[in-house]
Amino acid sequence: MNQTELLDQFILEARECLEGIGQRLLQVEKDPSDSELLNDLFRLVHTLKGNCGLFEFKPLERVVHAGEDLLDRVRNHTLAYNDQIADALLEAMDFTVQMVDEIEEHGAIDNAADGRSQELAARLRQNLTPGGATAAPAVAAAPVAVAAPQVAKPRPDWATRWPEALETQYPQAVAVRYRPEPECFFKGEDPWNLVKLTPGLVHLDVASLEPWPSADALDCYKCNLDFVLLCDTPKAYIEEHFRYVPEQIELMVLAEHAPVGAAAGASLEAQAAAQAEPVRDPMQAVRETLRKRVVQLWMDQVSLLKRPGIGLGTLGGVRRALTALLSASGDDESLAAMAALAAMPPQASAAQVATWAQQHVPGGAQAGGSDASGVSAGNSGAGGLPPGDGARRGGGDDNNNNFQGGQKVLKVGQEKIDRLMDLIGEMVVAKNALPYLAQRAEQVFAQRELAREIKAQYAVINRIAEDMQHAIMQVRMMPVGTVFQRFGRLVRDISKKLGKDVSLEVEGEETEADKNVIEALADPLIHILRNSLDHGIELPEARRKAGKPTQGVIKVSARQESDRVIIEITDDGAGVDPQRVRDKAVERGLIPADKAQTLSDVDAVQLIFLPGFSTAEQISDLSGRGVGMDVVRNAVERINGHVQLSSQFGKGTVIRLSLPLSMAVTNVMVIESAGRRFGVPMDMIVETVRVHGDDIHHFKQASTTVLRGKIVPLKPLNELLALDADAQVNSDGELAVLVVRMLGEHVGLLVDQFHGATDIILKPLEGVLSGLTGFAGTALMGDGSVLMVLNPKELL
Amino acid sequence: MSRILVVDDAATVRMYHRKILGDAGWQIEEAINGLEALEKVHSQSADQPFDLFVVDINMPKMDGYSFVRELRRLQDVPQVPVMMVSTEAQVQDASAAQDAGANTYLIKPAKPQELVLTAALLLGDAAASMKAAEGVTV
Repeated sequence: MNQTELLDQFILEARECLEGIGQRLLQVEKDPSDSELLNDLFRLVHTLKGNCGLFEFKPLERVVHAGEDLLDRVRNHTLAYNDQIADALLEAMDFTVQMVDEIEEHGAIDNAADGRSQELAARLRQNLTPGGATAAPAVAAAPVAVAAPQVAKPRPDWATRWPEALETQYPQAVAVRYRPEPECFFKGEDPWNLVKLTPGLVHLDVASLEPWPSADALDCYKCNLDFVLLCDTPKAYIEEHFRYVPEQIELMVLAEHAPVGAAAGASLEAQAAAQAEPVRDPMQAVRETLRKRVVQLWMDQVSLLKRPGIGLGTLGGVRRALTALLSASGDDESLAAMAALAAMPPQASAAQVATWAQQHVPGGAQAGGSDASGVSAGNSGAGGLPPGDGARRGGGDDNNNNFQGGQKVLKVGQEKIDRLMDLIGEMVVAKNALPYLAQRAEQVFAQRELAREIKAQYAVINRIAEDMQHAIMQVRMMPVGTVFQRFGRLVRDISKKLGKDVSLEVEGEETEADKNVIEALADPLIHILRNSLDHGIELPEARRKAGKPTQGVIKVSARQESDRVIIEITDDGAGVDPQRVRDKAVERGLIPADKAQTLSDVDAVQLIFLPGFSTAEQISDLSGRGVGMDVVRNAVERINGHVQLSSQFGKGTVIRLSLPLSMAVTNVMVIESAGRRFGVPMDMIVETVRVHGDDIHHFKQASTTVLRGKIVPLKPLNELLALDADAQVNSDGELAVLVVRMLGEHVGLLVDQFHGATDIILKPLEGVLSGLTGFAGTALMGDGSVLMVLNPKELL
Repeated sequence: MSRILVVDDAATVRMYHRKILGDAGWQIEEAINGLEALEKVHSQSADQPFDLFVVDINMPKMDGYSFVRELRRLQDVPQVPVMMVSTEAQVQDASAAQDAGANTYLIKPAKPQELVLTAALLLGDAAASMKAAEGVTV
C-alpha cells in the first residue's frame, strides 16, 4: 500500500477537521445548548481520532481521544460546557495542529511530544467529572503493569469467583475485578451498565463490598458493589472499556497466571506444550485460524437469524453470507451444505434457516453450548481483533464533501494555475490586436469586407477569452471565510487577555476573491481587529457607565460590489476622538497646529492613517506601538484596494476595505491628453462628463465646477504631468472631465479625450522609472504600443 | 471480480479501505454517506451488482444503521452481506448493527488482514481468505 498517499490524505482531512473543530469550538462557547452544533463538533473530533488510529500517532490520538470522550459527555448532557473545558479543548487543538504540521514535515511524531500529550489528555480528562481533580488520567496512567509472560504470576484472592471449568473453556480470558467508588453515582458513573456492556462477558459475579447494613441504615446513594467479570476478549478492550475508572479495576489475564491448583512448573510445561503445538504445521495453523473465523461469522449469522422480527431482506443477506462462508471453506462437506442451503425454498422462515444453520456449522463444530451463546455479533468481531485503542466511527461534516470520492477533486500546484493565469492574461491582450488589424484593413488596405469579418471573429475570440479568463479566475477564487476563521480565536484570546467582553459577528464569509487578495488581506485585517479590541472596545465597566451593553460587538462583514469585494469591520466601541487625533498629530509633528484645527472632524480622523501615528497611551503588546493604520493602508493599497475609516466618537468605528476581486487583470480607461494616451484604473473612475467652459469657475489658481449639486475641484492633467499644453475644447466648447475618487472625495481631471475601456496586465515600473510615483505601471497594448497607467492618487 | 461498496464519510478511511480491499483484488466503490450509498445501490448494474457492503456507522445525512435498514427493505436488489465497521467504544453498536440487518461487525481500525479475511469469507472467496488467514492470529 502506498503509505505516502494515505498520509497525505490523512493530513488533508486532519486539517479540514481541525479547521471545522476550531470554528465550532468558538460557536459552542456562544451557544453551548446547540445540540446540532455539538454533534457536528463531536463527529469532527471523532473522524480525526479514527483517522489517527490508522497510523501509529499515539500522542496525537491520545489527545484527540480524550477530547472526544469529553465532547461525548458534553453532547450527551452529562457534563456542562464551561470555560475550563473550552480552554482545555482549545489548547489540545493547538497541540493537534502542531502535531499535524510535524507529521507533514517529518512523516512522524517526535517522542518528545509524548509527555506533553499525556499532560493535555490528563487535563482534558480532569474535566470529565464535575468535581475535576479526582478523575485519573486514564490513558496516561493505566494501572495494569505489562505482565512478564514467562513467569506465571500468583493468582489474586478474588480469582476464585468463577467456575474453574470456564478457565479451560476460555484460556485467553481476562478476569476483571471492578469495585466502584462509594461516591461513584455522584460522578455520573453507572457501574451496572458499564459491567453489562463489557465486551466478551462470559461470567459475572456480584458481591457487596461491605456487608449490607439493615434497611433503615442503608444509604442508597452509596455504591456498595464488588463485581468480578470473566471476559473472553483481549485485555486492551477491557482497559479501553473501563478507561474512565482505571483506578477502580484490577485485571488478571488468565494465561499469565498459574492454573488453579497447579504448580508453577507444571504450568510452564503446559504453556510450552500449548505453544509448541501450532508450530508443528504452519498450514494447519492457517486452516485452524480460517475455520475459527468461519465459525465465528457463521454464529453471527445464526444469532442474527434468531433476532425477533427479522425482515426478508436481512434473511436474504444472511443466506448469501452463509453460502459465501461455505464457499470460502471449500471442502466437500461445505459444498454439500451449500447445495442443501440453495435447495431450501426462498420462503423458508428465519427460524427454519437458523435451525438448519445450527446443525450445519462448517468444520463440524456443534452449535449451541459455548460457541452459540458466547459469540454474539459484537464479541466475535472484538474477540478476533488485535488490540488497539484507535477507535473511530466515520464522522465529519458536510464540508467533507469537498473531497469526496478522492478522484473528483484534483490537487494542482498553485504555480500551474498561475501559469494559466499569465497565459490567459497574454491572450486577453493579444486579442486586442484584432481591432487594430481590422482598422488597418479598412483604412490602409481599403478592405472593408475583410475588416468586418475580422471584427466578427474578434467578437467570438473576445467572448471565449473572457469566459476562459473568468473560468481560470474562478479556480483561484477562495471564500474570504478562510481568513475570517482565524478571527474567532483571535478575538476570544485577546479579549480575555484584556479583560474585555467581546462577541464577534461574521457575515458574508462565502464571498469570494482571488487567492492572492485573500492572502494579502489576512494581516491588515488582523491588525484592524487588534486595534478595535485594544483601542476600540472599552472595558466592561466603562461601557456600562457609557450606557452600553457590557459586551462589545465587533462585526466583520464581506460582500461583493460589482468587481470589488467590500469588507467592513464595525465595532461599537469608543470610536476615535477627533480632538485627540488632532493633538497627537500636531504633537508628533505630522501636521502644523493651525492646519490641524481647520480640519473637519471627518478629515481629522483620517490622520490616523499617517505613518508613525499612534493614540495609544500605553504601548501594548497587542497592537504593537500603534503603528497599525498606515501599515494597514499600505498593505491594502498594495493589492489595489482602498481603506476608509469613519468613526463616531463614543459610538464606534467602521473601517471599510474595498478590494479588487482579482489582481491579474486591470480594467483601465484610456484617455488622451496633449496627444498622448494614458490609462486610468477603472475602479478609481466615478464618471466621465463633458463640461462647458462657461460652467467652470475660477478662483485664483483653482478651478471648480458643480456636478449634481456638488462642488468638484478640477485639475488639468497636463499641468499635473508638466506637459506644456492646454486642455483641448471640443467643437461645442466643452471640456472632457474625468471624475476620479480620492479618499472619498471626487476630483475632476481635465483631459482632451476619452477612449474606450480595456483590460490590461499592469506591469509595475522598473529600474530608474520605479521612482515615478505618479504612474501605477505600464501595459503592452494590442497594437504593440506601451500605455502608461496613471496613479491619480499620487499625482494630485 | 467481486464488487464492494465502502460507505464512510471520512476520506482517509475510504482510502484505507480502498487500498486494502482493492489490493486484495476486489473492485471498490465509495459512498460518503448512507444516502449516497442508497443511490449507488439503486443505480447498480444488473450484471455487476455489489457483493458486499462495508459500512461506517456515524455519518452525516444518513447513518450506517439507517442505510442498512433501508437496504434490507429493498425488494428489487440482490441482498448481500453487510459488514459494519465502527469503534470499540460502542459495544452496543454491535447489537444495533444486527438489529439493522448487518451480518457482522468489525471494530475500527481493523488490521488489513482482518479486514481482508472477513471480506473474503463474506464474499465466499476461498483463495483470498486462505491467504489472509496466514497473517491473522486468533
